[in-house]
Amino acid sequence: MRFEWEVLQNENPEPMALFSVFQTTFLLALLSLRTYQSEVLSEPLPWAPESLKVFINSTHQCLHLQWSVHNLAHHQELKMVFQIEISRIKTSNVIWVENYSTTVKWNQVLHWSWESKLPLECAKHFIRMRSAEDDAKTPEQSFWSNWSSWEEVDVQNSLGHDPLFVFPKDKLVEEGSNVTICYVSRSPQSNISCYLEGVQMQGEQLEPNVTVFNLNHVAFIRETGTNIYCKGDQGDSIKGIVLFVSKVLEEPKEFSCETQDLTTLNCTWDPGSDTGLLKQLSQSYTLFESFSGKKTLCKHKSWCSWEVAPESQEMYNFTLTAENYLRKRSVHLLFNLTHRVHPMAPFSVLFTDVSTTNATMTWKVHSTGNYYTLLCQVKLYGEGEVTQHNVSVEVDGEQLFSGLEPDTEYRAQVRCANANHFWKWSEWTHQNFTTAEAAPSEAPDVWRNVKSVQGHSVVTLFWKPLSKLQANGKILFYNIVIENLDRSSSSKFLSIPAPANGTELNLDQCSYQIHVTAHNSVGTSPASVIIVSGDPGNKEVEEERVKGTEDGFSLSWKPQPGNVTGYIVEWCDRPRGPLCDLQWKSVGPTTTSTVVSSDAFRPGVQYNFRIYGISTERVPYLLEKKTGYSQELAPSDNPQVVMSNLTSRSFTLSWKDYSIESQPSFIQGYHVYLKSKAGQCHSGSEKAVLSDDAVCCKYKIDNPKQKTFVVENLQPESFYEFLVTPYSSVGEGPHGAFTKVTTPDEYSPILIRVILPMVFCILLIMIICYLKSQWMKEKCYPDIPDPYKSSVLSLIKSKENPRLTIMNIKDCVPDSIEVLNKQEGTRKSLTETESSKPTYLYLLPTEESYSGPGPCICFENFTYNQAASDSASCGHVPVAPKAPPSQLALLTSPENLLKALEENYMNSLGEIPAGETSLNYVSQLASAMTGDKFSLPTNPPEPALCSEYKMQMAIPLGLASPPSSGSSSLSSFTLLDEGEHYH
Amino acid sequence: MDLRAGDSWGMLACLCTVLWHLPAVPALNRTGDPGPGPSIQKTYDLTRYLEHQLRSLAGTYLNYLGPPFNEPDFNPPRLGAETLPRATVNLDVWRSLNDKLRLTQNYEAYSHLLCYLRGLNRQAATAELRRSLAHFCTSLQGLLGSIAGVMAALGYPLPQPLPGTEPTWAPGPAHSDFLQKMDDFWLLKELQTWLWRSAKDFNRLKKKMQPPAAAVTLHLEARGF
Repeated sequence: MRFEWEVLQNENPEPMALFSVFQTTFLLALLSLRTYQSEVLSEPLPWAPESLKVFINSTHQCLHLQWSVHNLAHHQELKMVFQIEISRIKTSNVIWVENYSTTVKWNQVLHWSWESKLPLECAKHFIRMRSAEDDAKTPEQSFWSNWSSWEEVDVQNSLGHDPLFVFPKDKLVEEGSNVTICYVSRSPQSNISCYLEGVQMQGEQLEPNVTVFNLNHVAFIRETGTNIYCKGDQGDSIKGIVLFVSKVLEEPKEFSCETQDLTTLNCTWDPGSDTGLLKQLSQSYTLFESFSGKKTLCKHKSWCSWEVAPESQEMYNFTLTAENYLRKRSVHLLFNLTHRVHPMAPFSVLFTDVSTTNATMTWKVHSTGNYYTLLCQVKLYGEGEVTQHNVSVEVDGEQLFSGLEPDTEYRAQVRCANANHFWKWSEWTHQNFTTAEAAPSEAPDVWRNVKSVQGHSVVTLFWKPLSKLQANGKILFYNIVIENLDRSSSSKFLSIPAPANGTELNLDQCSYQIHVTAHNSVGTSPASVIIVSGDPGNKEVEEERVKGTEDGFSLSWKPQPGNVTGYIVEWCDRPRGPLCDLQWKSVGPTTTSTVVSSDAFRPGVQYNFRIYGISTERVPYLLEKKTGYSQELAPSDNPQVVMSNLTSRSFTLSWKDYSIESQPSFIQGYHVYLKSKAGQCHSGSEKAVLSDDAVCCKYKIDNPKQKTFVVENLQPESFYEFLVTPYSSVGEGPHGAFTKVTTPDEYSPILIRVILPMVFCILLIMIICYLKSQWMKEKCYPDIPDPYKSSVLSLIKSKENPRLTIMNIKDCVPDSIEVLNKQEGTRKSLTETESSKPTYLYLLPTEESYSGPGPCICFENFTYNQAASDSASCGHVPVAPKAPPSQLALLTSPENLLKALEENYMNSLGEIPAGETSLNYVSQLASAMTGDKFSLPTNPPEPALCSEYKMQMAIPLGLASPPSSGSSSLSSFTLLDEGEHYH
Repeated sequence: MDLRAGDSWGMLACLCTVLWHLPAVPALNRTGDPGPGPSIQKTYDLTRYLEHQLRSLAGTYLNYLGPPFNEPDFNPPRLGAETLPRATVNLDVWRSLNDKLRLTQNYEAYSHLLCYLRGLNRQAATAELRRSLAHFCTSLQGLLGSIAGVMAALGYPLPQPLPGTEPTWAPGPAHSDFLQKMDDFWLLKELQTWLWRSAKDFNRLKKKMQPPAAAVTLHLEARGF
């Protein structure tokens, strides 16, 4: 809503002083002249307005004036003009002057109304008037009566004692009107705020306690009106009004009347927007017919029914009036009833005599009186065609359709209109019918696929279903007659139910003529004949590449010189699928090119076409082969590359399994990309920059059948990456992951040749050693026998000395150590023996015959071996000869043991192997034992003890003692002298 | 008593336990006349339901009246709505009311309010609003019947309307449309206040009507949870 504030009181411009003086003088002079004229030329007017009364209508903001004119003669009529002045707030503030002309009669009470823009409660109003005789000839010479006295209109006095009032109360206006609002406050010191829809308004102060607000072009907001309220700053008083803004009542549009049955008129119109409010009902509509003078209040907003007069009134003049609280709108319509007939839709539409090509349609129309003829329009829809017929009808209509297609559904529709005075078509009435079936008109299109399987021909027959126009009905089955051309007597008959479109036949190598016919419920189609020869005739024909487009493949072939009845192009719609979906196209004998298109063709799929010529004997024979792509695509996969023969300078790549036939385009070759750190490309390759800005060498292979490549001129111990990708006319394969390879160094193969056998040999030795471990153990480090477990001990105990025991090594307290060195007589050479002859320190007397005593360390305890000590003998004996391990077994029996001991002793004296070095432990116990009765006849002192310990020294000397050498002679020395012996 | 989230769970558990054992309380396990307790409870529930229903109805209706009536802080002085029964009452006065007076005031108030509300329904311009108002009037009629039932159960007579004091919906010519909207505003406001007050009234009555033996005192120690 837009607010415009205007000043209601006029402001007088201040004229210039001189002009003002002049004007005043002139006016005074003029006024004196007029007064003089009135007084001199005529008397004051006798018909002055009298009894002026003012009535107030606050709701409509109107002042009604009522007055009379006296002194009129009886039956006198006088044309008079009344000048009315209205002032606001004070008498000097004239806001309205109007001359009201009327003819005044004797004793007549005159009325005049004035509508105030400002609510009357907002300010005092003053009214006065004067009159003059209305002389049309010389209006300027009329002489006015005196002014009546001012009549004061003050509504504020009757408002009451409320502190605040807002006016006008609940006014109803049209959208776009200008409205003036005011509030009257009884407490001028109070600060009043006024709001329109919650938005504060700014007003103009009219009087100290009155403020006005001008609302211009008010808009419709809601049915419950626009809320305007004022409240004081104390908040204790709130007053408001609701301004009801109605939409502007529109004139009814598209007003029209018509009849369907000549008894009722139906009038319709577009009512436009609804002007209903909470305070005001929606607009009402009234229909008035002027010829009959009838009027009806319409119950609906947009249509009304009118009963046609029985006296067959033809002309009607309607006035449609829309009315609401504020306004009326009317439209008129004049028409002849017979020109406004809108017939009802035809009914009982039937079809009779429906044959394969003809049908008759009949229908009925509703009666509209005896005088009217209807024009009916018939439309027939069938197989995409529309035919139209116009028929003149009085009661029943009939239309014959001819030239129809057999077994075809048609849709017929009919509508009618008044033939004499066209007004409107009726609604359509629809009905469908189907023509009868006829025998198929065309032979089915037949093709075959022949395979030789184990001396038989497997013939797969295909036929295309007949089109609807060819079939003339529903195909029920296909009959196949197979005639053996070589043996004319034999023929075979097959019936294949529809909707099969092929069958498989197992035939021998003879030639056959196959007839295929299609059957519907009425008859048989012409036969389609094809010859299947015993010789398949699939001669080797070179395949030719063709380029496909989005529209298909344009194929052409060489014309055949002989008699050809036609050509057939054969292909598979799904060459990669298991069923192939064989398709074919037949062309005439004069055609040598065709375009093969199919919805099944996909980009990146290779299609193979075979072109057959059909001989006059109806034998097909292969002429040409074509292959191509409807759209070539870049290869999608790279081959699986196997790398072999990796050397320090080269390696070999191969991709034998890559099939070029199943690629989305004709493969023209391969690109081999090789990345290296060096970045140098050798001859045969060129530098290439990949999409990731990597630089590499590109080798090009032009032959798609070459599926190996040797990468050469490599650096040893270098890192390389390679990729093999196919390329075609539309691009190359994806640059996927490169394969990494590092070339070996040049020497490693040689080293491998040496190291590997060595490792093998070592392993072999280790295995042998492991397998022969027992033997090795026996040979190298036999088990040390435990003296406690020896059978010798029990033997000794039982026979000789029950006190005899085995010396425990822990109990042996060494007294002295004697290091003995003995040459090995049998194992060493003579020169070695002589050169390394040791120096012996003999603590005990030795015999001459004792040729090879080994070094012996003797630990003596003289404390416990006094006898030995006294005899200046440590009791030790020459080292007992070592008993061979083989002899140990003999010691298990007492006899053997004795014998062995004797033999050992004797051996020790005479045959101790040279070079053996042993440690002889001589203890007190050993001495005691020596001193006991247990001794052999040729007993040297304590031979048995020495022999016992001799057995422990089976370790080779080389391991147990430092190896003897020529320069270092073995020596025997006493580690401790007597004085230093432990006690 | 400082109740934390854990305390709430504890209280809930305690309440569940008490409810579980309620059938075992002999005083609550009576099979005879249940007394006015259930009907008071139903009346209380209906009051709360109406309170909820009025919230959406008042929103729609005040929007229909337009600003300032749909403004949340609009609080005009109570002009021209003197005939509406006042729900606001001094707290001491309210406490001192006996059951009969309490119920009688409720019954009288809703009788008047229902009458005004039906007038409001007749005035409404939109069909949807009329449907909502009619539905609410039906519910309010149910509340009135429920209060009458409680009064009958307690042996109180229903207040008889004085002849000539039947409230009517007849805005005179002096009654401006703005004042009429104010009346509508105050009608909805008083209705809401009455529903709040009734909820308190029936809650108080409900507690009062509980038999002493059935009184289950829940002494909740905050420390226990």
